[in-house]
Amino acid sequence: MPGNAPKILVVDDEPQIRTLLRATLVRGGYRVVEAGSAREALNARAIDRPDLVLLDLGLPDRDGLELVQALKGDDNLRVIVVSARDQTEQKVAALDLGADDYVTKPFDTEELLARVRATLRQRLASEAEQQQVEAGDLTIDLSRRTVERAGAEVHLTPKEWIVLAELAKQPGRVLTHTHLLRAAWGPAHEGQTEYLRVVVRALRQKVEPVPSEPKLILNEPGVGYRLIVPKD
Amino acid sequence: MWKMLHRRMKRIGIGPTPSTRGAGGRNTGGMTKPFPSLAAAGVPADLTERRTGAAVLRILLETLAMVGAATLAGLVIAPRWGTLAVDMLYLPPVLAAATLFGLRPALLAAVASALAYNFFFTEPIHTFRISRPDDLLTVAILFLVGVVTSQLAARMRAQARAASDHAARNATIAGFARQLLSSSSEEDIGRVATRELAALFQCNAVLVAGTGTPQILAMAPRTSQLTPSDLAAAAFVLESGEPAGRGAARIDPADWLFLPVKSASLVLAAVGLARDDGALPVAPGQEALLANLTDQIALALERARLEAETRGLAGLRERDRLRGALLSSVGHDLRTPLTAIIASASELRPEAPGDRALVQTIAAEASKLERYISNLLDMARVEAGAVRLKVEAVDLVDAVSAALRDLHHLLDGHAVEVALPADLPLVRADPSLLHHCLINLLDNAGRHSGAGAPIRISGRTDGGGVALAIEDSGRGLPDGATPFEAFERIEGSDQTGGAGLGLAIVKAFAEAMGVEPTAGQGASGGAAFTLHFPAALMIEPADSADAG
Repeated sequence: MPGNAPKILVVDDEPQIRTLLRATLVRGGYRVVEAGSAREALNARAIDRPDLVLLDLGLPDRDGLELVQALKGDDNLRVIVVSARDQTEQKVAALDLGADDYVTKPFDTEELLARVRATLRQRLASEAEQQQVEAGDLTIDLSRRTVERAGAEVHLTPKEWIVLAELAKQPGRVLTHTHLLRAAWGPAHEGQTEYLRVVVRALRQKVEPVPSEPKLILNEPGVGYRLIVPKD
Repeated sequence: MWKMLHRRMKRIGIGPTPSTRGAGGRNTGGMTKPFPSLAAAGVPADLTERRTGAAVLRILLETLAMVGAATLAGLVIAPRWGTLAVDMLYLPPVLAAATLFGLRPALLAAVASALAYNFFFTEPIHTFRISRPDDLLTVAILFLVGVVTSQLAARMRAQARAASDHAARNATIAGFARQLLSSSSEEDIGRVATRELAALFQCNAVLVAGTGTPQILAMAPRTSQLTPSDLAAAAFVLESGEPAGRGAARIDPADWLFLPVKSASLVLAAVGLARDDGALPVAPGQEALLANLTDQIALALERARLEAETRGLAGLRERDRLRGALLSSVGHDLRTPLTAIIASASELRPEAPGDRALVQTIAAEASKLERYISNLLDMARVEAGAVRLKVEAVDLVDAVSAALRDLHHLLDGHAVEVALPADLPLVRADPSLLHHCLINLLDNAGRHSGAGAPIRISGRTDGGGVALAIEDSGRGLPDGATPFEAFERIEGSDQTGGAGLGLAIVKAFAEAMGVEPTAGQGASGGAAFTLHFPAALMIEPADSADAG
């Protein structure tokens, strides 16, 4: 295992899940540290200095949401939350508290690896201030504020541009409805989900090959949107 | 004289009466107080009318003794103060006889007093001749006093007796009610009621209930017999709420008299009474008491029924709660290993094609199991009333594509056609609940369509609202099928199929959001399940979204 491979801290109180995640992540080329409780997780964060944490929200000794904040700290540690399917509100709360993404139990290991890759790449990308994002046949230039689809320029309204640019700044990462509404309409309109729906629909008409079967701008029900960057 | 008076009053039922029965049986234990029987207190025989010879003789002697005592007193004082005051001495014996013994002893005392006064104190002394008119007046006044006083005393006695009868009846009813209060089941009430009635009325008693053939709840004594005509009388009472049987207007050939035990609205039971000697079970004058006692039985029976209902409800609620808790605990415990199985299977990379198929089967079946458990948990949440809505504007394009993404393994072989117009209005819905609805509908469609067969998802505006339909290419629904109800009919049993549960969740979640689910025939012949979002849940296209 390469000594400079990213190090991932797996926090879960179920040993069999930890074993499984370790196997998956090792296959993906990562180094793995395990923790079975919130206390162990905070210790491991200080000692092993991981690059990313896979955090199960259902820990016995501490509320998972509190731990999100404690783990995030002020450096660039990435956190992916693992939660049960029916805990949409918890997912949204974790994202609002700074978690970078989430996966839902039971998870597909390929999907998990894709999330981990996407999250780590954003970290690198944010360090390098990436200016150009490719998604499908789209090229989004964040500094020039232009969108091209198969070489032809796509004309967007100001709101459409803000929403697409927010998504493109963090490709592959889910952004909550609240986040997008605040960016495009301001804090006063955080609750106006219908504004966002209308703009996303218009955006899809312009950028998706089949607007009624989106492949680029995907919705996570009750949570938010993510821009899929097919080349993972 | 006071001792005498006290004794008499005891005899007519005023003052303490000795208990005629011991403290009750098993379940009446400490609560039972001495409880007078009818013979002791309730309905006494008329004592003034029925005196034994010895009693008459004693009254006679006592009356004469009082008159004698007055005469002796007169003989003592007459030589000193004259005979003028002596006539007054005869008033007390007359008053006493009238008060204590009634009219005839009073008249006797008056006659005896007049004779004694005449004989000992009026001129000519030691004869019965009356020479002076004022002596005649004295005798007449003594008579008058005797009559008036005895009448007054008789009236007072009658009032006292009525009051004591009343008190005794109330005591009887209260004692009866107390006995019934300590019984909680119909059987206990029947046992206590029949035992007490049999003791009070000195007869056989039975309590019957039920529709059709009357069921005997209790009988005292146990060896009593009911003939078919008695049962007919009982059945009539239970049905009509009118008395029947011996001594009643209806079904007279019966040996038993049956009376209804009624609550405000229905006949709860019937009380039957009979005497071994064939006499009328209830003596005249006792009907009111018996009616009162049957009312007490009705109250007790109704209370027992309400208690049983309350207990039943509490038990049901507790069972529901336990079932919910069990489901959710089992669900969560099953999920962790399933998560490990599903993920492990997806990690395996077998070389042999046979092994690959096996691993895929493991993954697919484990996923199916996981969805089934999720459905169970969802149903438990619905049944516990724990479904909380978080409604927001939803684009059905988002909802459908998210559901298809979640189910892509299952629907891999199928050609899924999505026909959602670009101008389909947004709807208000809980995104999570809607997601579960769609997953269950798509799962159902996938299961009923052959491998590779198409599934069509279409949206349209419909009667002011929005309709989202999912059609499979299976054989369609059998005639008259109500797939959403399939689970409801056998709710609470263990015979729920996976499909029934999934569709039941669709129905429960959809209805929670105000969405109407329907099932019908699709255009291609398969089954079509449609979610109808009424106009109230539709969001009119707004042009403000892009403003600013």
